[in-house]
Amino acid sequence: MLDIIFAELIVAAIITFFVREKLAAIIAFFMSLLPLLALLDWASNYGFAIINLGIESHMKIYLAGVTLHLAITPLSWFFALMILPLFPVIMLFSYSFFKENDGFFALMLLSLLATFGILLSRDMLSLFLFWEMMSWSSFLLVYRSKDRNAIMSYLIFSVFAAFAILFGIIILWHENSSLLLSDILNISGKPGFIAIASLITGFAVKAVIMPLHAWAPFVYSKCDESFVAFLAGGLSKLGYYGMFLFLFSLKGVDILQSYMTNVSWNYLLAVFGALSAFFATLIAILQDDLRKLLAYSSIGQLGYIAIGFGIGTPLAITGALFQAFNHAFFKAILFLTAGIVAYRTGKWKISELGGLAYKMPFTFMAALFAIFALAAIPITSGFAAKWLIYEAAIQQKYVFIAPIMLIAGVGAFLYSFRILYGVFLGENRHDNVEEAPKSMIAALFILVMPLMIFVVFPGYMLDLMKPALQAAGMESIAHTKFAIETSLAKYNSIAVLITLMVAMIPAFIIYKARKHRVTSFEDNYLAGEPYELHKPSMHAANNFYKPLKKVVLPYLEPGATHYFEKIYNGIKCASNAVRRVYTGYVQDYAIYVVLFLLFIVGWLIWI
Amino acid sequence: MDMIGMAIKIAILIAYAIIGTCVGLLFMGIGRKIIARVHNRVGPPFYQNFIDVAKLLSKKTNISHGWIFDLALLFSISGILLTLLFLPIGGAQLLSMDGDAFLVLYLLAIPALGFALGAGASGNPNAGVGVMRALVMMLSYELPFVITLIALMIYYDTTSLATIVKMQSIDGIKSWAITMPPFMIAAFAADMALQGMLMEQPFDIPVAPHEIASGPMVEFGGKYLGSLMLYKAIALVAETTLFVDLFLGGGVVMHSGVMAAIINFFVWLGLIFLLFVLSILIAASFPRFRIEQAFGFYWKYEAIIAAISLIWVYIMVIK
Repeated sequence: MLDIIFAELIVAAIITFFVREKLAAIIAFFMSLLPLLALLDWASNYGFAIINLGIESHMKIYLAGVTLHLAITPLSWFFALMILPLFPVIMLFSYSFFKENDGFFALMLLSLLATFGILLSRDMLSLFLFWEMMSWSSFLLVYRSKDRNAIMSYLIFSVFAAFAILFGIIILWHENSSLLLSDILNISGKPGFIAIASLITGFAVKAVIMPLHAWAPFVYSKCDESFVAFLAGGLSKLGYYGMFLFLFSLKGVDILQSYMTNVSWNYLLAVFGALSAFFATLIAILQDDLRKLLAYSSIGQLGYIAIGFGIGTPLAITGALFQAFNHAFFKAILFLTAGIVAYRTGKWKISELGGLAYKMPFTFMAALFAIFALAAIPITSGFAAKWLIYEAAIQQKYVFIAPIMLIAGVGAFLYSFRILYGVFLGENRHDNVEEAPKSMIAALFILVMPLMIFVVFPGYMLDLMKPALQAAGMESIAHTKFAIETSLAKYNSIAVLITLMVAMIPAFIIYKARKHRVTSFEDNYLAGEPYELHKPSMHAANNFYKPLKKVVLPYLEPGATHYFEKIYNGIKCASNAVRRVYTGYVQDYAIYVVLFLLFIVGWLIWI
Repeated sequence: MDMIGMAIKIAILIAYAIIGTCVGLLFMGIGRKIIARVHNRVGPPFYQNFIDVAKLLSKKTNISHGWIFDLALLFSISGILLTLLFLPIGGAQLLSMDGDAFLVLYLLAIPALGFALGAGASGNPNAGVGVMRALVMMLSYELPFVITLIALMIYYDTTSLATIVKMQSIDGIKSWAITMPPFMIAAFAADMALQGMLMEQPFDIPVAPHEIASGPMVEFGGKYLGSLMLYKAIALVAETTLFVDLFLGGGVVMHSGVMAAIINFFVWLGLIFLLFVLSILIAASFPRFRIEQAFGFYWKYEAIIAAISLIWVYIMVIK
């Protein structure tokens, strides 16, 4: 069945390249449903326990003398469940988003194919091949932005990541003489450490952990939002998929520890995660560009997953996987919302927007729900994920990480409100803006669904990831349908939701007891001045967090980007120096030849 | 659980919700009286806030700015009641076994966010600025507060408030957290954070009546303002109770029996009253900070004080 899916996706990609945009969207939408159907089919036919045993792959591709092994594992099933639903939703969204078909759908289908391949590959070679396929198909999508910073930074960081991953794979192959992921890694000490560390570094680029995040703000803020929804929601998870695969499924943690036993290498990952959660949140608060704000918030939220992997207990990893799942959906909603806002108003600066909530109520509701999930308000599934990570940090007594990530969680309220107030509330500045097209609204509400389901039943999510954890040799957390229990405390989702609903009753009685009159926006308290007289600007969104900026900005100034720029300038200088050799005068080249001959002669005499 | 037990539990929850509201309004009235006496005025009677709320809720003219504006009313009251019921109050556990301190921290955000939504929807720039100030204040005082919270959590090796209260009440007053030196420091930092949480002077920056026309509530009137007053009253009880649960053993001095329950209830009431009076006296004596000053105060001095207690506790625990 796999070969049929692959073939169909390639054919569909070619077809969508040539047909008109609406037809391309429809074809792409139905084609991107195929892998999802395959997933469901597997789940019902095989279960997980059988598939994970050995390397009975469902498919082998013989390519130029190499065999590519492909099979589904519980881990890849869970990640596929999180990433693959984004594709049909994005196709649905893009149905009315693009004015003309310039290859977006074809490239997205190729990305889908590559993503599917990465998740299915059972040997390192096919993992790398599909990883590269994903890199260049997404690079071509980035290239559509025509923004030099975005294109160059994505290219350079992708190449760096690819080299790091290839380096790790080569060492593993050399020491282990097998590329199959089903074999236990028989490697330890220094080579093992270098291999695993370079693999993790490579994956960390796609997972945007902080010193390696520098490409993300450029790329996220300049590309088409429907693509960025995949980039932030889906592609970043592939980085974490790779990390999970090598750290936990293949026991990379033990290999790292075998090199230097007195240093906790895992803890280092958690610290990087915590720092990126903290600093990215602070930077996000100060942004004015909606897409940049979302980019930094994305880096911050992904930091929690890194913290979870870094803590490394089953509790923490459960939380991290839960957070990854939530993030895929709520961040996709938010980027698609940014797309809708830009589609209707053509603006991205928060200080120029405002008052869209009453114009586009459905978009607002979806965005509000996504923001609740992002800020981990306990009426969405965002809370359970973060709660698990907090519990894990307290359980391990990580006193440095715990306060940092808790305060980053509070910081999330600040930029959440910046989006809500700056874009959707406040002064109404757009009189002739309509609600988004129906296909876009449908896309948003499909993505809201899982966030709503897993707030009521957090236990179902834990059931879904149970096989993946068991395959990595970890026990699942004690849970029922509604409640999760750890050694420290218990969280019962249904108690919260029912109590909230009951507590709504007195509020509703107060609300209904007296009638109210809805007035227009102009009827506002302005210290006695009539609005019509001066028509003052009523939107306090310009330089919103000014007092905070004044205090915080000096500490944030020399950021990671600064150092990357230094490296960039250094390389530029060095290249310039090398370029001077090529002077363009024939005499100089003649002297080079003579000098080289003299050197050869001298060397021959010397030996 | 059988039906009768369920019914009794629901009745207790409703009773505590009503008690919380009344106690909050009463305290606010007493607070006004105390401030008036510090200022050498007579002040309103102690039941003034009951009258105010009743008047506001029964107003015939109410002005709304649309359905998002109404969310403020709905979410502020329901969210704060929800938070109150997840706290152990004077030995009564209520719903605190179904959640923990992290849940309470995030539940406290529901009414605040609902309130902020309503304020934003009013379209008044003062409201936007006020909410901005409130959020920056929140970011400020949460840092020392979460550090002290984590110190308590790693010491008692639990995150559940009910368990923290239980472990502190083993030996009566002697086992309260505040009797231990590291937690004395932590309690100081947490009390300063409480001052910000209650939005009392010197941290009443978000409402600042003279600067930004009462900030977020500039457009609220009638039933909307009345509901916000109720929210503030219940929030006062919830926040002081959180402090009492963390450091003062939840006010539990006796175990088992009806008599113990009554005594514990009144000890809790006395403790939150003392905390409230303390914060009112601080409020009456200090002028308002600017927002950067408040931020610096919490993130520099308070955070360092809290961090000292955390390090101290950490050393105690790993030994």
